[in-house]
Amino acid sequence: MHDVVYYSAMIWMTGLLCVCFGLVIRTHSSIVRILGFDAMSLVLISVLVLYSITTESSYYLDAALLLALVSFVSTIAAARYQSERRVF
Amino acid sequence: MRPFIFDAVVILGVVVMTLGVIGLIRLPDVYTKLHGASKSVFLGLMALALSGMAVGGEAMFSRLLLICIALLITTPVASHVVGRAAFLQHEQMTTVGAIDESGSILPAGEIPPWRV
Repeated sequence: MHDVVYYSAMIWMTGLLCVCFGLVIRTHSSIVRILGFDAMSLVLISVLVLYSITTESSYYLDAALLLALVSFVSTIAAARYQSERRVF
Repeated sequence: MRPFIFDAVVILGVVVMTLGVIGLIRLPDVYTKLHGASKSVFLGLMALALSGMAVGGEAMFSRLLLICIALLITTPVASHVVGRAAFLQHEQMTTVGAIDESGSILPAGEIPPWRV
């Protein structure tokens, strides 16, 4: 019963990841593209969290933590380069 | 009885994240898209991590707590920098009835003296 909920949630989040990827490709504004990439990384972290809950192994959560920090750095760098043409 | 409550929390998180992505697609403006991208998706992920903390063991609890703290610090900063980039690129507010209260419209191509 519980596995059905977690597996269906994981399939739904994978579909949501595809929707975010389509948004990143199809939009015309670069700021919206950066924003959609940030949301896509959050959805990917949630897929990893759901998979680690389902299989009851905590090893995928290390990848999720690193993905959170790297997506923060990439969003900051992309937004600052887009607005000011320099990162630091 | 308790795991059914945590299943309900997982379903709540999935619904909130779905609403956030729908708002990211459907809302008319960059500044209103920031609501869906930063608040809704982030809080849905918080609900999923809360359910994982309650269901999993000690190792999963500590790692999920680290993920929650990292996202709680980094997500407002990232969304603020994205909103600042949209302001510096002269993105217009196209929402009906929106009022620009910033009052300091920069000339085109000028880099402001203040930094984040």
